[in-house]
Amino acid sequence: MHEGCMKHAEHISEFLDGELDEAACEEIRAHLRDCPACRNCLESLKKTVEVLRRLPRETVPADIKQRLRASLRECMTQGGPTRA
Amino acid sequence: MSEPATSSEEHRLIELFKQGHEDAMEDIISRYEEALYNFGLRMCGQKQDAEDIIQDTFLSAYRYLDSFREETSLKNWLYKIAANACFRMRRKKKCEPDYELSLEDLLPGDGSADTFDIPDWTEDPSENLLRNELKTVIEEAVHELPPLYRMVFNLRDMEGFSTEETATIMDITPQAVKTRLHRARLFLRQTISERYRKDVAHA
Repeated sequence: MHEGCMKHAEHISEFLDGELDEAACEEIRAHLRDCPACRNCLESLKKTVEVLRRLPRETVPADIKQRLRASLRECMTQGGPTRA
Repeated sequence: MSEPATSSEEHRLIELFKQGHEDAMEDIISRYEEALYNFGLRMCGQKQDAEDIIQDTFLSAYRYLDSFREETSLKNWLYKIAANACFRMRRKKKCEPDYELSLEDLLPGDGSADTFDIPDWTEDPSENLLRNELKTVIEEAVHELPPLYRMVFNLRDMEGFSTEETATIMDITPQAVKTRLHRARLFLRQTISERYRKDVAHA
């Protein structure tokens, strides 16, 4: 990766997350207009983040839920919370 | 005036608990057990470990909720406890070394030569096998991240915490959150793309 690209590549996630100020964003946008490799880098990173954020969640197995509540009840009968 | 850190319903549950209605803790568990179980699962990779994380988190919350002053939201407070439970578990296991990810290793040497095939989630129910394969590829890639990067990624991209909130939960600077998140994303892009390419080649 070229030195100019490297400088911008370090801040691509901040750019995607809207965490850069306007001047820094404009500098990156200007670079992206002239650099297909960095446009490719940005698009593939954006797609990665989208795919990861849609990773399905597991439901909590019933036996794990039961054991958690049983532990809580045991705690309640053995002295209760630490009162301030 | 700033927004209250905790929602009014959660504030009510906390107040009930402090007045001696300890059953309010069960309502708090019902609100957060699935999110924290998934957080534990993605941090540790094993169901047994995820169970230990939520047991540890909610029992600590039960013990100390009385002294919780709501300077932060209930959600952030619970995640801080869960993050500490993950750190403790890692110390106990002593088998997962942390190391730094180098930016140079994660960025293409020659931009024009590198493409990344990132698959999409299919919405077609007949493609469940493909969805499950992608889920496995992603979960394995997430688990290969060094632990500190994995936690930043989980809190920011999976749980939706802001940079500042993640920094507070992990006791690191916002700049460290940004740096680690970026490298974690680059690592995941590379790993998912390589595995996917390999799977397609073997299909």
